[in-house]
Amino acid sequence: MYQYNRRGPKRGVALYSYSAEFGLTKSLEECFEDICDMGAHGIEILANTHIENYPYPTDAWVDKWFRLCDKYEIVPVEYGNWIDSYVLGGRELTAEESGEMLKRDIRLAHRLGFSVMRTKMPVISDDLAPVSNWRKIIRLALPTAEKLGIRMCPEIHTPTNLKSRMVADYVDFIEETKTKSFGLNIDFSVFRTKFGEGDYRDPNYTPNEPRDLIPLLPYIYCCHAKFIHMSDDFEETVIPYKEIIKVLKDHQWDGYLLSEYEGADKYDEGYEVGQTLRKHHIMMKNYIGD
Amino acid sequence: MERQVIQSVGFRNIKEDGAVTGFQFKVRLPYYRGIFLSQLRPGTLFVDGERFEREDIVWNIGGEDYTCEEMQTDRNTHWSVTAPAVLKVKKEGGLSQGWHSLKYGFCFTSSYMPPVVQENLNPDEENFVFMPEFGHHVNERRLLIV
Repeated sequence: MYQYNRRGPKRGVALYSYSAEFGLTKSLEECFEDICDMGAHGIEILANTHIENYPYPTDAWVDKWFRLCDKYEIVPVEYGNWIDSYVLGGRELTAEESGEMLKRDIRLAHRLGFSVMRTKMPVISDDLAPVSNWRKIIRLALPTAEKLGIRMCPEIHTPTNLKSRMVADYVDFIEETKTKSFGLNIDFSVFRTKFGEGDYRDPNYTPNEPRDLIPLLPYIYCCHAKFIHMSDDFEETVIPYKEIIKVLKDHQWDGYLLSEYEGADKYDEGYEVGQTLRKHHIMMKNYIGD
Repeated sequence: MERQVIQSVGFRNIKEDGAVTGFQFKVRLPYYRGIFLSQLRPGTLFVDGERFEREDIVWNIGGEDYTCEEMQTDRNTHWSVTAPAVLKVKKEGGLSQGWHSLKYGFCFTSSYMPPVVQENLNPDEENFVFMPEFGHHVNERRLLIV
């Protein structure tokens, strides 16, 4: 299996970015080739989107997955999954039922060579607070994750703040359990400093400073390199990338920055997200120096 | 697969034992991730204004037929974003030759969205805010029966 041994921040792409094109004008292999064109070596998939016959792919599909990783020199970095506690609508799943669903994803992530999962929590409020039994669900899945070397990471995304109670609760849980199988995925939307006219700004949102990352670095196993406005001279104009990457480098953080383009314009007729991703990778390449 | 939710391929009358018993058409899932069948909220179908209730429409996913009721509790069968579902509708004699206007609504739940968004889901009406990665609830298309 292909290995990329560079230390420090590394470049990758979240296939979520291709949402408007995947299955219509882009195949899985074309997404891999696009990432290879950018000289990036990491990938994040969404289990429920990109795995054929999810949650029970065939061995033939799994073979194809590893062939693509080898051919395009791609490392399976992050497996995006959801704890779908409200999957039934009528009633919430019990912690045991959610735990079983989570363990099924852990085993599948491992089968596909992943080491980190972006584990999306079910939420109970407008400010995205997770279900009250999240600790129990995670505890039920921890032995499986520890045995298979998988790190489950909830995504910290705007409007959540890095200094919030929610993040402190996750850190307390990691300290209490002493686990290496639960951590954080930081989405760079938490650093957004500028909003244009007509841009939605959540009333609960306060921007974080890049240095707010420092105390959390030991728990961060992956980042969503969220970007919103790339200029034609390859700068992100609303998120301070230069400073963020400097913090990561100065503190010897080792992991992947997965480009995630969330702009709704990617659904516009004729929009080419591959070119938007390339702009972002020109910038990241400059700041990382790879 | 076409970008439109209602696909042009797959629209035809259904024949059983030599008799036309209904018609079928295909829809793709306009979400950015696949869903378990219990997440699906099927709505009402209108063909040239004629109303068909959700209970009278059978969904075929991955080659298996499911009624609306069966899907409600099925949290293991998954519908992928890359394969359209076939909707089968009972109608004696099927649809006549020529143009037909189809209008169909469906939507789905998401555990990671705030509860207020979930409680007000209605497959036959659009959400109060349109989010392209969730697609439109109600889709229309005009297609020909031969």
